[in-house]
Amino acid sequence: MSEVASALIGREADTQAAIAVKALQAAGKLDGARERFTELVTRHQRRALRIAFHYVRDAADADEAVQDAFVKAYTHIGTFRDELPFEVWFTRILINGCLDRIKARKRREKWLAPPSIDAMGHERDPAEYLPSRGPSPEDYVLRQERRRQLHVALQQLPERQRAVFVLNHFEGRTSREVSQITGLNESTVRVHLFRAIRRLRGLLSKDAARPGAASRRVSRASH
Amino acid sequence: MRLIDSVFRQGHLSERALVDAIISGDRPHHLDRCDICATRTTELARWMQDLQTDAVELADEIFTPERLTAQQDQILRRLQQIDHPARVIAFPASMRREQADSGGRRVAVSWVGVAAAAGLAIGLIGGQFSARLTDPVAPAATTTVDAAAAATAESQTAPVDAGFLLESFDTVGISALDTLDDMTPRLAQLNARSGG
Repeated sequence: MSEVASALIGREADTQAAIAVKALQAAGKLDGARERFTELVTRHQRRALRIAFHYVRDAADADEAVQDAFVKAYTHIGTFRDELPFEVWFTRILINGCLDRIKARKRREKWLAPPSIDAMGHERDPAEYLPSRGPSPEDYVLRQERRRQLHVALQQLPERQRAVFVLNHFEGRTSREVSQITGLNESTVRVHLFRAIRRLRGLLSKDAARPGAASRRVSRASH
Repeated sequence: MRLIDSVFRQGHLSERALVDAIISGDRPHHLDRCDICATRTTELARWMQDLQTDAVELADEIFTPERLTAQQDQILRRLQQIDHPARVIAFPASMRREQADSGGRRVAVSWVGVAAAAGLAIGLIGGQFSARLTDPVAPAATTTVDAAAAATAESQTAPVDAGFLLESFDTVGISALDTLDDMTPRLAQLNARSGG
């Protein structure tokens, strides 16, 4: 009850802040507009980074995508309408930005793709592209390993499934909200969500069952 | 309970139904009666919860509070730039100011080029005109100079009685050669001798 109430209060506060920013911009009080907009940045920054990170799968890209999304939201705040929660409106901007980044990266990777086959002719594990984090206690390494597996598994989801899964499961958005953000039908959202979960379960269980996978990565991480 | 579940899954819920139940929070009545499905639901819910925890921790580990602060500063800087875009400052400002202070007349750079081109054109055309105007005079002067030079040279090298060169050889009489001339038989005499 308290979570729902605080969420509603947060939404109301977001909407009020966004409308205030819009009014201040229209009045030419730009310093005040920026100050009010900072409230929105503070409230949504971490959540936006999580979404962007799981979506674009790269910290630097996620960082830039979030910056761009906030700048775009500020410059286009005039188009914000209070019938839609600010969070949904902003997340839509963010997701579109992430999609653009993914498309641009795919175009780049056509020319600059890292070799997936090593000199010995063996296929390289995608986890090898991630930097190791130095020596650490075993439990810490195992936890890291589990997260890395998750990160790798998320990479293998199709874009829509990943978007729906991240928004719904990691960020706790309802199917209706995900539908508003992504522009997909609500039932389609549920289908994507289920397929994402089924695929992730398959990928993660397969990765965990692979003989020597964990121990090999543990030794790699400890070097 | 869907018909397909009761026919193909021996009355147990499908995985999709379990996922729907977990996400929507609507607990099907079947779970109260079936321990197998209840266990499956619990396991799936735990797996999903672990997944969420891992995903959130992974992101939060990368995006530390310091990084968030730095990013927020960066966002605010960008917003400030949008609100107050930087003006383009003329370069070099000090030199321009000095010129203005000195009171000298400033000439636009483009005019310097135009003036140079015009000067070149005027020079070429003027040169052509002047050349054409002076053409008849120059050879005359040259001839005069040549004639004078020749006359001078002639006066220095020729003997005083050089006029004999223009006369017929027969009419020329040089006393020093008269003896030699007398000794030399004439052509008429030779003919007479051979004929006689």
